Amino acid sequence: MIITKNSVLIALKALRRNKLQTALTMIGMTIGVATVLTMIALGSGAQSAIQDQVRAAGMNLIVVTAGNYQLRQDAVPDDAIEPAAFHPDDRFVPQLRTATWDPRTRLQLTRSFFHPEDDPMEKHDHPTSRQRLGDSEAGLGSAATLTIPDADAIRKISGVQFVSEGIHENAHIAFEGKRWFTRMHGDDVSMPMIRRAWTFPHGRYFSKREEANAEQVIVLGSIVSEKLFGDQNPVGKTVTLWNQPFKVVGVIGSGSWMVAPSAGDDQFDAIYLPVTTVQKLLNLSKLNDITVTTVSTGDVTRVSKAVADLLRARHHIAFRTPDDFTVTSQARKALAKGGMRPEVARAVVGNVSGLEKVTLDQLGKTLDRASATMTALLASIATVSLIVGGIGIMNIMLLSVTERTREIGIRRAVGARSGDVLAQFLLESILLSVTGGLLGILIGYLVSGSISKFVQWSTSVSPLSVAISFGISAAVGIFFGYYPARQASRVLPITSLRYE
Amino acid sequence: MTPVISIRNLTKTYQMGENAVHALRSISLDIQPSEFVTVVGPSGSGKSTLMHILGCLDQPTSGQYFLDGKDVSRLSDDEISAVRNNKIGFVFQGFNLLTRTSALENVELPLLYSKDPVPAAERRRRAMEALAAVGLESRSEHHTNQLSGGQQQRVAIARALLNNPSILLADEPTGNLDSRTSVEVMDIFQSLKEERGITIVLITHEPDVAAYGSRIVAFRDGVIVSNEANTQRRTARAELVDLPVAVEEVG
Repeated sequence: MIITKNSVLIALKALRRNKLQTALTMIGMTIGVATVLTMIALGSGAQSAIQDQVRAAGMNLIVVTAGNYQLRQDAVPDDAIEPAAFHPDDRFVPQLRTATWDPRTRLQLTRSFFHPEDDPMEKHDHPTSRQRLGDSEAGLGSAATLTIPDADAIRKISGVQFVSEGIHENAHIAFEGKRWFTRMHGDDVSMPMIRRAWTFPHGRYFSKREEANAEQVIVLGSIVSEKLFGDQNPVGKTVTLWNQPFKVVGVIGSGSWMVAPSAGDDQFDAIYLPVTTVQKLLNLSKLNDITVTTVSTGDVTRVSKAVADLLRARHHIAFRTPDDFTVTSQARKALAKGGMRPEVARAVVGNVSGLEKVTLDQLGKTLDRASATMTALLASIATVSLIVGGIGIMNIMLLSVTERTREIGIRRAVGARSGDVLAQFLLESILLSVTGGLLGILIGYLVSGSISKFVQWSTSVSPLSVAISFGISAAVGIFFGYYPARQASRVLPITSLRYE
Repeated sequence: MTPVISIRNLTKTYQMGENAVHALRSISLDIQPSEFVTVVGPSGSGKSTLMHILGCLDQPTSGQYFLDGKDVSRLSDDEISAVRNNKIGFVFQGFNLLTRTSALENVELPLLYSKDPVPAAERRRRAMEALAAVGLESRSEHHTNQLSGGQQQRVAIARALLNNPSILLADEPTGNLDSRTSVEVMDIFQSLKEERGITIVLITHEPDVAAYGSRIVAFRDGVIVSNEANTQRRTARAELVDLPVAVEEVG
C-alpha cells in the first residue's frame, strides 16, 4: 500500500460524497476526544493548582526550632525553659528580675535546661504562671533557646521575607460555659502572610499595635469558633483563656481546598495570640520556634545557613559544639524524604496535630499523587468514550464496505489496485478520526476554558494532553479503520461489479 | 498485423455448489486493431465471462490471453490493475458511475490511479477533452443523478477513453437506454472506431445491436458458434437522421 497525494484526494472526495454519514461519525470521535482533553485538563489543572499552592505556602518556609533533637546527648526536654533573667537583653527583664536574686543561681545555671517551675523540689520566690493565672495548665510545653531578639536579628538577614516568633501550647478556651481543648499559638502579626491559604470569614488578625502592647486579643481557628459559637460571629465577644479575658478579633478559615479544617488539626482547631501577650502572661522569654519565609524559593538554602550562623553567633556556641536549635527548610526536608510517610498520610486526612511540622511539600506530593490517580481515572473513563467513538467509525466503515462494493468495483475496473482501495478506506477512517479529533481538541479546549471561567475549577490544557488526544484519535482511526479497509481491498473486481 | 487481443484455448469453470459450470470451453479468438467486434449470444452463453476475462476483471481457469502481445492471464493483481488502468476502457450496462460525484470527477477517476501522478490541472483538461468528445462539456459539473441515461453512458464512455486504451469493452451498453439514445451511443462507438481507430469489443444479446459491428462473434453454451465479418453493417449516423430528437437533448 502506497499512500500518495492522490490517495488522500480520493479519500477526501469519497468522504465528501456522504456528508451526513461523515459528519455523524466525526461527532462520535469529537465527543470522545473533547471528553479526554477536558478530563486531563481538569486533572492536571488540579495538579498545577496544588503545585502553585505548595510553592506559595510551603517551599520558601524555614522553621527554626528550639533545641537540637538530633543529638541524644544534651537532649532538651520539649517543655524545658530557662528563666528569662539569664539573658539581660530580654524584653521582660524588669518583670523577671526576682529570679536573678535567687541565692541558688549557680545551681540553676547547671540545670538551666529544665523549667524551674516544673521542678517539684523547687521552692519559688515568685508565683508560677499557673499560680498567678489560676490555670493548672498554663505554662506547660514551652521550649528553651530561642528569643524574640533572635527573631528580630533574623528579620535583618537579606532575603528574608517574613519572620514569626512562635510559642505553642495546648490550652482550654471557654465561652459562656462551653469549653474547648485546643492548640494555642503565640505568633507574630506576619503569620497570615506566611500561611497564605488563610482567609478571614470574620474579623481580622491581631494588629502590630496589639502585639506591641501585648494586648489580650485572640483570633480563633474556624473549628474553635464553631465549637464555641456555632454559626454566630464571635468577633467582639470575650472568651476565657488561662482565666483571663480575651477579646476575639477574628476567625481564620481555609482558603484552600487542599487543607480542609477539621477538629484536631493544628491550624484551624487552634487559637492565635500575639506572642508578646503569651510571654507576658506565661512569664516566658523564650520561643518554641521561629518561622521564616524567604523572598524567593531558590534562596532557602542560603538563608537557612545565614540563620544558623547568626543564631550560633548570638548563642555564643563554640566551634565543634552542636547547635542548640534546629533549622529545617521545607526544601531540605523534601530532598531528604522520598516516599510517603505515615505522618503525611495522617496529614492528608487532616487528623494530625502539628500539621505545620509535616512539610507542605510532602503534603503537596501526596495530593499530587492522588490527583494523578484521579486524572488517570478520569482519562480512562474518557478513553472508553473514545473507544466507543472508534467502534462507531469501524461500524460505519464496515457498513460502507458492503454498501460501497459497487464503488470499489468501479474503482478496481478503472485501474485501482487493491492497495489503493486499502489506502482509500484507511485514509477515510484516519481523516474522520483525526478531523473529529482536532474538532474535539478545539471543543475540549473551549469547554475547559469555560469550566475554569464559570465553575472556577482550575484546568490546564497542556501541549502534552493535546498531543495525547491527537495521537489517540489518529491511533483509533488506524486501529478501527484497518480491518474494514482490508475487507474492502479484498473485494474482487468482478464480484463488486455484479453486486447490485 | 499483431492482434490486439489474442486468446488461446481459454477455459473458465465456476464451481456452483456441487456442480461445475463451464462458462467458457476452450475458446480461441483474435481481434485485430481498429476492429469493432460484437459478441452476441443468449444469456448464459458465456459472453459476459469472456468480457470479464478480456477486461482483466476475472482470471481464466486455463488458457492464455495476450493483450497487445503480452500474456496477461498470469500477471499479479497490481500489474493487472495497471493494465485495466491504461489499456482497457469499460462501458457497462448499468453505467457504473460514482453517485453524488460530478461528471468531470467521474471521468478523471482513472487518472487518479495512473502509475505516474497526473497534476490536477492536467487531469481536468484531459477529462474536459474526453467529455467534449462525447458532447457533454456543458454538463461537466452535473452530478450523475442529474444526467439522463444516455448522458450517463456517454460520461462512462468518456471515462473509458481517458487513458487512450488499446481496447474499449462494452457490456450491453444499450441495455438500459431507449432506442434513440442507443443509436446515439452506437454512433459514438462507430465514430471512435472510424476516426480514432479504437478497437471495440461490444457484448449484447440483441442481434440488432450486434449489427453495428464490423465482425460478429456468436456464442452459445461457452463455445463460439460463428465468427464472421458483418456484411449487413448498420450505420448509426445515418439512422439518427430519421429518428425523432429526444426531449432531453434540447437545450
